[in-house]
Amino acid sequence: MKSKKIMICDDDPGILEVLEMMLEIEGYTVFTESNSTNLIKKITTILPDLLLMDLWMPVLSGDQLLHTIRSTKELEDLPVIILSASVDGNDIATNAGANAFIAKPFDMDDITLKIEKVLL
Amino acid sequence: MTSETINDNLNNNIYLQALNSAKSGIIITDNRQPDNPIIYCNKAFENISGYPQNKIIGHNCRFLQAQDRSQPERQIIKDAVLNGKECKVEIRNYKKNGNLFWNELTISPVKDSENNITHFIGVQNDITDRKKFENELREEKASVQKKIEQRTKELIDKEAFLSSIIQTVRESLLVLDADYRVLSANSHFLSSFKEASEDTVGKILFELGNHQWDIEALKTLLTKILPTNNPVIDFEVTHDFPHIGKKIMLLNAYRIEFEGQYKDRILIAIEDITDKKEIDRRKDDFLSIASHELKTPLTTIKGFVQLLKRMAPAESSEKFLVTLDKVSIYVDRLNNLISELLDTSKIQSGNIEIHKEPFEIDKLLRDTIENLSLATPQYSISININTNATILGDELQISQVINNLVSNAVKYSPGQNKIDISCHKVGSFIKVSITDYGMGIIQQDQSKIFDRFYRARDIQKKFPGMGIGLYICHEIIANHDGTLWVESEIGKGSTFNFTLPIMNKQ
Repeated sequence: MKSKKIMICDDDPGILEVLEMMLEIEGYTVFTESNSTNLIKKITTILPDLLLMDLWMPVLSGDQLLHTIRSTKELEDLPVIILSASVDGNDIATNAGANAFIAKPFDMDDITLKIEKVLL
Repeated sequence: MTSETINDNLNNNIYLQALNSAKSGIIITDNRQPDNPIIYCNKAFENISGYPQNKIIGHNCRFLQAQDRSQPERQIIKDAVLNGKECKVEIRNYKKNGNLFWNELTISPVKDSENNITHFIGVQNDITDRKKFENELREEKASVQKKIEQRTKELIDKEAFLSSIIQTVRESLLVLDADYRVLSANSHFLSSFKEASEDTVGKILFELGNHQWDIEALKTLLTKILPTNNPVIDFEVTHDFPHIGKKIMLLNAYRIEFEGQYKDRILIAIEDITDKKEIDRRKDDFLSIASHELKTPLTTIKGFVQLLKRMAPAESSEKFLVTLDKVSIYVDRLNNLISELLDTSKIQSGNIEIHKEPFEIDKLLRDTIENLSLATPQYSISININTNATILGDELQISQVINNLVSNAVKYSPGQNKIDISCHKVGSFIKVSITDYGMGIIQQDQSKIFDRFYRARDIQKKFPGMGIGLYICHEIIANHDGTLWVESEIGKGSTFNFTLPIMNKQ
């Protein structure tokens, strides 16, 4: 079976690195992007099975990007999980139409569980 | 001796007796002799002057003036004697013993058939008492006058002092009459709201500054609220002034109710809290950003520790794994501290949101305690819960309170192994009690432990913390219309109790 592709977008390189390692251990094919302005172009080419994205990023925020994704034909059904250390992150993510929300700092088991659930 | 002479003598005797019975001193002087000597004096004159008759007869009247010779009345007497006129003076005289007495002296000339002045009759009244009384009266009057002047000056001083206080305070103050006309406005009001004194005093408040004070909330306060709720404290008014921009103001209003000239005047104190609100907002923003930025590297650390655990070789020592666990525990603690700091800031500025939904308090307690039991296996937690009550509130926040109180019970009862938790219905409330058998809290600290950043003395060294856990609990329970309090005895333990209103199911 071909492994699922996950795109991670976060402006913090440390978080990108740790998430990449975690998900690779779980057997996913991982792509990373730290520049929010490149994300849409990148996912349109890669067409990942799931997008894991930070909320507060410079230039384009997670909810803005999610809005673009939901109104772009080839991306509208892309499952998106939003990550944030912000207290109101859950509300913003839910309102923007995210499939799930994960609070930072996160738990590795929690992340893999939520990803599996969204990919079902 | 003829019968006429006898009659004359008899008459003279009667006259003399009459003169001697008079209260006034009477003397007669002979003007035809040099220096106008006294030829007669009555008994009263002896009494007044203190001299016996034989020391009086033959002297000029001036002997009564002793050395006190510079009185202007003397000239009046001299002129009257010279011109044969009657005169009346009040003059200082001296008794034989040297004592001063005030003499009211009337001098009348006696003339013969050729109109020559033969004698003078002097009538004297000792008016020392009257003079003394008059003097006292004059002094009294002067002193009253002086007192009035002093009081008036004090009042003026006081008014100037009060007015300088009013002009100096860094808060706007207005005095209105019963028709909301401005009677006075202090300089802080005039400078803060860019009004000129002459355009303010005497004008209706709502018409000030081209009606920029025509503020609905202010009208409501003065016309509707104040008449029945005097005084009104901390009334918040937000208004966009055309010239000076948006202002958030906190008002105190007081209508004078005591009788007198100030009755029904209205005092208004206005605090401009626009900047304070802005600073609060910036502080909240800063703490939000700070906590977000602090949590980002923390997330990475936590992730790598979890990866290390996952990647640990099968033959890793127990010590190695325990060490990794400890790193995780302290990362979580740091994360909690950052969250609490943000919570405190939000509670302080009233920005914490409550998502109220009905929940079962019994279940919440059981679930929360079950999780806590796993974390503290050395404690046996006894539960006595039987309310079946539904609470309308933020389940997550109430869970935070229970967590905090039970964690405290464990933290502050080292060496113990028992905690009791009960929950019962009390009237239309539920009451949750969490009892430990630890060190207890001294009386003085019992009311303070719910204050923000308060740490009971002696506690800080043994039990580190920021002193915000109980503050947050207290605020959360208060936001749910309940009460949180403590009962404690030193060395025996503490019971923290809180109440929450039961949801009305209809």
